[in-house]
Amino acid sequence: MNIIMSMTWKELLRKRVMLLTLIMTVVFLIGFWFVAGAIGGNDSFEGTDINSAEQLIQRFANGAFILTFGFFFGAFVIAFLSIFSSFSALSGEAEQGVLQALLPRPLPRWKWYLGRWLGYVIFGAAYALLLFIAILLITQAHAAIPRDLFILLKSFLLFASVVPVIISISMLGSGFLSAIGNGVFMTMLYGAGWLGGMIDKVSGSLPLKPDALQSLQNMTGLMSLIIPADGLQRKMIAELFSFNELSGMLPINESFFGVADAIPSNSFVIYAVLYTVVVLLMGMYRFERKDL
Amino acid sequence: MSVAAIEATGLTKEYSNGRGCRDVSISVGKGEAFGFLGPNGAGKSTFVKMLVGLINPSYGSATILGHKIGSLEAKSLIGYLPELYRYQEWLTGEEVIRLHARLCKMERSTADQRIPELLEKVGIGRRGRDRVKHYSKGMQQRLGLACALVNDPAILFLDEPSSALDPIGRMEVRTILENLKKKGTTIFLNSHLLEDVELLCDRMALLNDGVILRHGKVSEVLNKRTSWHFKVGGFSPFLLSWLNERSGLQIRISTSNGDSTALEFSSSLDSSVVWLEAELENEEQAGWLNALIVEQGMTLYEVSHKKERLEEWFMSAVSGLSHRGERA
Repeated sequence: MNIIMSMTWKELLRKRVMLLTLIMTVVFLIGFWFVAGAIGGNDSFEGTDINSAEQLIQRFANGAFILTFGFFFGAFVIAFLSIFSSFSALSGEAEQGVLQALLPRPLPRWKWYLGRWLGYVIFGAAYALLLFIAILLITQAHAAIPRDLFILLKSFLLFASVVPVIISISMLGSGFLSAIGNGVFMTMLYGAGWLGGMIDKVSGSLPLKPDALQSLQNMTGLMSLIIPADGLQRKMIAELFSFNELSGMLPINESFFGVADAIPSNSFVIYAVLYTVVVLLMGMYRFERKDL
Repeated sequence: MSVAAIEATGLTKEYSNGRGCRDVSISVGKGEAFGFLGPNGAGKSTFVKMLVGLINPSYGSATILGHKIGSLEAKSLIGYLPELYRYQEWLTGEEVIRLHARLCKMERSTADQRIPELLEKVGIGRRGRDRVKHYSKGMQQRLGLACALVNDPAILFLDEPSSALDPIGRMEVRTILENLKKKGTTIFLNSHLLEDVELLCDRMALLNDGVILRHGKVSEVLNKRTSWHFKVGGFSPFLLSWLNERSGLQIRISTSNGDSTALEFSSSLDSSVVWLEAELENEEQAGWLNALIVEQGMTLYEVSHKKERLEEWFMSAVSGLSHRGERA
């Protein structure tokens, strides 16, 4: 399995998709630096010139806005990296003939599958960690950020949890669909999940009748169950800023793009973990039976 | 009792489009070279893929040196060069072979020694340090052969091993295979290049429309009695029965000298000039028949003889039969 994992990392590092992702990440971070500067101002918040609680709260609110904005786009980047790294894992390699040479080797198929999955997930999580730290550091240069290590760790795990969720679905899809078909399917699925999340965020402020609102919420809830990526991102923002403790102190919905209206529960996180495990096992089962 | 290298019993793969193969049973002995022939779409690759564990059979069973196909034990004994060969283009040739060596649980020191040898053997040499994306098709096929040989397999499955190679490359591959055969490696060769099968294989089977049509020893086909052709003048029909009676052979009038490229006997020639055809065991028999012809006052213009080649055996077997290639 280690062999397959290291092969996967080599593949990701040598393919141009990774290089392009890194270039685009740098471009994004440069842009983010200027946006953060514009929102938070260029003064450092490390000093001791804090005169009032209002000022402190304002700086924290600025930081929250910048971070939410940064993670909003960061989530897109890691989701698309996860999709584009893994969408052709099975069908693409089978279509090309790469798998036909490898799989007659004495390696159980489940190990190959798990090796690939771990390779993509660890790589994606490492990339997510870099992005997470970069976003935090840039924000810190312009505004205040949470400093509780436990909260930061919990938030990072939620931020990076999108990687295994998407890779599990993508690899399962790759066992059924052609490489191009799966790429389109995954992009549409992620897009639908994101749209569901957006509707969920704004639905509370729409002038809708209770019945219509209920239908909308049922629909968005279903989307969150099919692809829990957006829900996990909302949960991450909520954990990062300890929404439960801040309510009443900050204008939460203004600072967090309406995230506070639709914070998933802890049960949702447990559901997402189970969902990932089940989809991973289904993918393995499919691969065991797949004719190449 | 010695275990067969490959033993397949009623191996069947059903596809919804009607392709695949049905009830294929073969037995290949240790150290034997077995040729698997058939027109396009006959089901040859499907059968090989079942043997190497890429496709799950619908029915039937097969073993590799006594181990069930698809099992890790069976896989550790084989090398396989697929028909559709592509290797990780982001790796160098050397890295691809090393990957296969690691998957075969080969010690690093053994791999370090074996990989350069293999690169030399298949004719890649120093280009092993280049990325695979810079390789031609022929180079990739050579690389595939090196990967298949990395674990020094007891059984080597080759699916069209020289389809992308030039004549020199084909000859080099053939030499490699001949050496492996001498060393005792069992070779299962799936090929359209009948000359390769003819030169390398001990036995063969012909698959058409998913079922085995014919099988047998290559030597039996090649050592069938040679067909001799005699161009004679002053021929009259009653002499044919006389010759048959006198010689005890089956002599018949032929339309040509047996060479498909030769001009056919035509009415433009003198009607007393014909080609006679007979299957003879040796040259002495041909000399004796010559003497009989001359004795009867006929003129002998030309004598030619031709052994049956695998191509003719193949063509005669599938001629007139429907096959999937023509439906595709």
